Amino acid sequence: MSHAIRADKFLLDADRTTWHDETLWFVREKRDRAAYGVPEFQELRELASGIKNHTLSRLDLYLQEFEAAAQANGVHVHWAADAAEHNAIILDIIQQQGATRIVKSKSMLTEECHLNPYLIKHGIEVVDTDLGERIIQFRDEPPSHIVLPAIHLKKEDVGDTFHTHLGTEKGESDPQRLTEAARQHLRGKFIAGEVAISGVNFAIAETGGVVVCTNEGNADLGVNLAAVHIACMGIEKIIPRLTDLGVFTRLLARSATGQPVTTYTSHFTKPVAGKEMHIVIVDNGRTQQLGRPDFRASLKCIRCGACMNTCPVYRRSGGHSYDFTVPGPIGAILSPNIDMKKHASLPFASTLCGSCTDVCPVKIDIHTQLYKWRQVLGEANEIPAAKKWSMKFMGRVLASTRVYGLGGQFARKALRLLPHGLTHAPSMNAWAVARELPEAPRQSFREWYAKQPQPATQLPNPKVPA
Amino acid sequence: MSTASRDRILDAARANKPAELPLPTVPDFGGEATIERFTTVLAGIGGTVVRMSGLAELVPTLQQLFPEARATASPLFAASVPINAQTPTGILAAIDLAVLPGEIGVAENGAVWLPEANMMNRALPTITQHLALVLDQRRIVATMHQAYAQLPNTGGYGKFVAGPSKTADIEQSLVIGAHGARSLVVLLY
Repeated sequence: MSHAIRADKFLLDADRTTWHDETLWFVREKRDRAAYGVPEFQELRELASGIKNHTLSRLDLYLQEFEAAAQANGVHVHWAADAAEHNAIILDIIQQQGATRIVKSKSMLTEECHLNPYLIKHGIEVVDTDLGERIIQFRDEPPSHIVLPAIHLKKEDVGDTFHTHLGTEKGESDPQRLTEAARQHLRGKFIAGEVAISGVNFAIAETGGVVVCTNEGNADLGVNLAAVHIACMGIEKIIPRLTDLGVFTRLLARSATGQPVTTYTSHFTKPVAGKEMHIVIVDNGRTQQLGRPDFRASLKCIRCGACMNTCPVYRRSGGHSYDFTVPGPIGAILSPNIDMKKHASLPFASTLCGSCTDVCPVKIDIHTQLYKWRQVLGEANEIPAAKKWSMKFMGRVLASTRVYGLGGQFARKALRLLPHGLTHAPSMNAWAVARELPEAPRQSFREWYAKQPQPATQLPNPKVPA
Repeated sequence: MSTASRDRILDAARANKPAELPLPTVPDFGGEATIERFTTVLAGIGGTVVRMSGLAELVPTLQQLFPEARATASPLFAASVPINAQTPTGILAAIDLAVLPGEIGVAENGAVWLPEANMMNRALPTITQHLALVLDQRRIVATMHQAYAQLPNTGGYGKFVAGPSKTADIEQSLVIGAHGARSLVVLLY
């Protein structure tokens, strides 16, 4: 199923689509205010991009430096080539503890690896503790945004969900009271948690520590109450030095939600005496992306979601229409690397307006990569036949002055003579499904121009001063 | 643990990485390291600054701010509940107010650096219902660059805390008091 077909479903509810669009644009506006408040914001983007580019160019060395430093801190370091290995490593750590109650803070990587269903299948209780993630976990839905996982839901939806799962009053939709109900419910889970799983925002090669950024404090609460902390990270989370965080912490929250910084910027470096800390370093297609010169810059992503909030297509089609862990423009350039066939329609879910590139805090050339993926998909024969042949046909027409002129004459006549039902038939003309063709003029500009009095063939010589 | 995967990942990264690019030097951008800026920004993210003329004012200030707090924890005065790294979760979960010394305040975002050595127990700053951080006003810096430049290291655990725990996960409505402390006061002296 293509992105366009899934987007159609989202668009069935026009009011909700408008609300979704406006809500995300509001977040984009908050981002702008936060960014304009920092005079050196553009320099910070350049620095962040430079630090990430440098890190990718020495990735193997920094990974080894990180591993050695983490091990010196008493941390167990694991390596997973793919999602299956990542999940197996985590299950093994949990089973060695004899644990069954897991609290998890937000991690897009564990979503990517489908860790939750895997653990549940093995009899482990996994509780997502980020409020948005808990809501969608109750509803058995994937996140629709990487920073705002439940942004596709209205407060009434959350009220219904909490009524079913937490016993809140029917019809309760006040965010304050719903959040309080979740706080009480999750406090119990935090206190009972035996193993805490977290994602990683930044992994510092120099110190071997990982940094986790949250607003709710759920990572800190989960990790510090459990006996074991498992932090899961993709290989691209590495940064070289502690001081590099000055750049990234100034960019991340401002780009994501327009906050000056997240409430908690937590540095987990060594386990407390008597407890364990594990770090799972995951590849799952990332080294392959590193080997694609046109697309490797996508590995610089710090998962702020700014490209989603600004994207006119994402805002009006919803995160679920992408059917990939990371939706929006960045997801559309990451997903074909994972499965080109399955995600072939995503690089086309864009107007190539470039707004994503403009807001990206690490200066990923997102819209250029979208365009390049289209070429790759075309070469690989992964675009629908109708699109492929109509593009080939238009390419021929636009390449020849004569064919273009004749085509124009034919189209103007046809549009006047043929019935509207035929020229706008959805089966014949997908473009006209939601659009009206213009009224055809009697003549083209070229025809009109040819009838005008011809200007002097040679322009008078300009007077050149002696 | 699979050393085969480790080697495979490192080999692939080595083979696929681009030619080496330089590591940029991050300048100190200067900025406004003032109490006023810190206070305004912290208020904007739901926290509060209370000025004290000295540490002697700490206890009376707290009594005024938190008259209801019964179970208190602090290394700075004789609080009601003794806490250390081994304190069981049940006791931690009953704390109303933790009062901890912060190390560095960041004017641009209202964050305060709280190292493990200052928090009595790693879980205390988030499990307490209310959190007060005591900060020497001379330790306010302008930006995160300056804050990190002052950190010798991050110890076993440490964090920047900027305001109370919050969420906007329900319809983007801001709610203060998600899972961590419901309020945050910075006591500046």
